[in-house]
Amino acid sequence: MHNYVLCYRFASMNEEFIRKWKSQVKKGTLSFIVLNILKGKELYGYELIEAVKNKTSIEIAEGTLYPLLNRLKKENLVTSKWVEQESGIPRKYYVLTQEGINTIDQMKKYWETLEQSIKRISS
Amino acid sequence: MKAIDFEQKTAQKIYDSYIKRLEKTAKPLLREDREDVLMEFNSHIYEGMKRNPDENEADRLLDILEKLGEPEEVLKPLIAEKKLEQATNTFNPIHVFKALALNVGNGVFYILMTLLYLSLSLFVFLIYAKITNPTEVGLFFKEGNFMALGSINPDNLQERNIVEVLGNWFIPAMMVSGVVFYAAITLLLRLKRKAK
Repeated sequence: MHNYVLCYRFASMNEEFIRKWKSQVKKGTLSFIVLNILKGKELYGYELIEAVKNKTSIEIAEGTLYPLLNRLKKENLVTSKWVEQESGIPRKYYVLTQEGINTIDQMKKYWETLEQSIKRISS
Repeated sequence: MKAIDFEQKTAQKIYDSYIKRLEKTAKPLLREDREDVLMEFNSHIYEGMKRNPDENEADRLLDILEKLGEPEEVLKPLIAEKKLEQATNTFNPIHVFKALALNVGNGVFYILMTLLYLSLSLFVFLIYAKITNPTEVGLFFKEGNFMALGSINPDNLQERNIVEVLGNWFIPAMMVSGVVFYAAITLLLRLKRKAK
């Protein structure tokens, strides 16, 4: 009985650890994901969130996307513009800057190196 | 900002209260930043409502708002960041103080900066104290070593061989120290922001 309880505790601690690790990885890669999704298109916030969900099956907290976009804008990786709609409620479209495009290339190179290293050490 | 019209009364109520909370939370922002943030969230809600139009209006709205999160929580990082931008661009002490307060949770650096900022207010306080109480307030030395900055009971002064060293220079010295501290804080904030 005692052993059983201990095992259970270890299992749940492990799950907690993995859950936290996954959320850290997500946090660390979200800007890379968002920049990639904006490649070659202009999207407004809601559309961007849908695209992240559909293309990556990653569940993101929707509220965190807007502060992220604000940061990308401040870093000059994206720009935004308001586009009037018939409804009277305009959409804010985001588009990559040239600096953003160059940045994705560098991020991609790093990502590929990292991927290879991880494959090598974990195989 | 153009508000969204809902058919159901409950949905309208939920929406109005959410927008009100957003407005309240966004108050520390500059007017145009605030308008921009509100419009973007409003657009998010509007676009979300256009999906699945067959479902119940209030249910759809609640689902969108739940995914978006509590207004206070969602806006926190945005406001902290914008406030910091504003503070380092304007040198306005009120903005600097607000930005520090909002960013304290973000690490030791800001806690340190807040302490620096508080010690800055000490200089201001000392100037005021010197004016109202010139004999007891000053920079005190005892036998050539630093003793205290502040006020000392005058009876103690002669007994314990303590002397005030700045005299009429006390107020100008505090002013200069204050300005130096203030410039240092703002400069550090700027460097920190660039390093990010």
